[in-house]
Amino acid sequence: MLSLYLPGDGVLHRMPPGPKILTLLALVLGVSLLPAAWWAACAAAAMCVIAYAVAGLGDGAVGMRQFGRQVFAIRWIAGLTIVGQLIFLGPEPAVANTARVCAAIIIAALLVLTTRVTTLLDTLERALRPLEFVRLDPQRAALLLTVTITTVPVLAGLARQVREAQRARGSSGGLRTFAVPFLVMALKHADELGDALAARGVG
Amino acid sequence: MAVFAAIVAVLGLPGGFTIFGAVPITAQTLGVMLAGAILGPWLGALSMTVLLTLVAVGLPLLAGGRGGIGVFLGPSAGYALGWIAGALVIGLIVHARNRKPTSPNTLLGVVVGGILVVYAVGIPVQSAVTRLPLAETALTSMVFLPGDLVKAALTTVIVTTLVRGYPRAFRRTWEAASPNRDRVLTR
Repeated sequence: MLSLYLPGDGVLHRMPPGPKILTLLALVLGVSLLPAAWWAACAAAAMCVIAYAVAGLGDGAVGMRQFGRQVFAIRWIAGLTIVGQLIFLGPEPAVANTARVCAAIIIAALLVLTTRVTTLLDTLERALRPLEFVRLDPQRAALLLTVTITTVPVLAGLARQVREAQRARGSSGGLRTFAVPFLVMALKHADELGDALAARGVG
Repeated sequence: MAVFAAIVAVLGLPGGFTIFGAVPITAQTLGVMLAGAILGPWLGALSMTVLLTLVAVGLPLLAGGRGGIGVFLGPSAGYALGWIAGALVIGLIVHARNRKPTSPNTLLGVVVGGILVVYAVGIPVQSAVTRLPLAETALTSMVFLPGDLVKAALTTVIVTTLVRGYPRAFRRTWEAASPNRDRVLTR
């Protein structure tokens, strides 16, 4: 199953999901409220590094390898933010604001790096339970999410099939000639899936 | 029921063709537009909610393999949340009065819902997150406008093709726009 989860047994891995979410949220909120000043930029960066070091990600470099990967992953967000800010606000607020935004994203990433998707879905199902009295069935919601997860790779396969069929006919194909057959195949798959679920009494 | 699964199918779209050929086109907003136009307002919005929930719990489903709760803290958070409202508005406009989607109607729907509504939610949030004033943020977002307009046109073409070629996709029946019906109504 596709996921961003990173196996390990560090502090965050062992923490139950509820408290972990609250802790990380508090950290992110703290970073978000920093003012636009040079020291705040340093503080935001320091908090990120410390959070990754303490998390015990077990990548052999005190969490710094993962930290680097996360920074690399948001390079476009960081670039776009800082360019816009430099033009309109000047260097100090630009650097501070960008550091703050990036730090919040990078710290939040710790949650999915250290928690399995299934664990988070279970937590979500529990969190949705109070909504039962507005006629939202948490189990159905969880099923919908799970079915979606399993469907993504299936549809990726269908997409590849359509593209290969096009290539076999010698057409490079634009997005339009790709999208229509792909949609038809995907929606047919949806019908079959719906029938299969109905046959099993889910519906 | 079957519609539930259909949501899922359309949801898979973004993951399906983020990179097309040599040119990376994020077809994600195309998926948003199609969800609203094909599934209708409520299922369209629901499908976007499902997608964003999965992203929040850590599936790398956004363009470029992004995912995780961090997405909802970054500058683009508002755009992602705007998809829900966007799909809803698209569905409302495209399927207004339960008529068969026509090109002008679909184009109107995707431009208003898929671009105006999404930007209307996205730009203020981006401005708040990056603390860059609203007008300047709006100006920087204009970079994405040409691409989104192309996608709006593309959605219109795809939807009208589907109406002709695979009407089952829409899971609704349209009243025939025959002159008889008008006569009955005026009588």
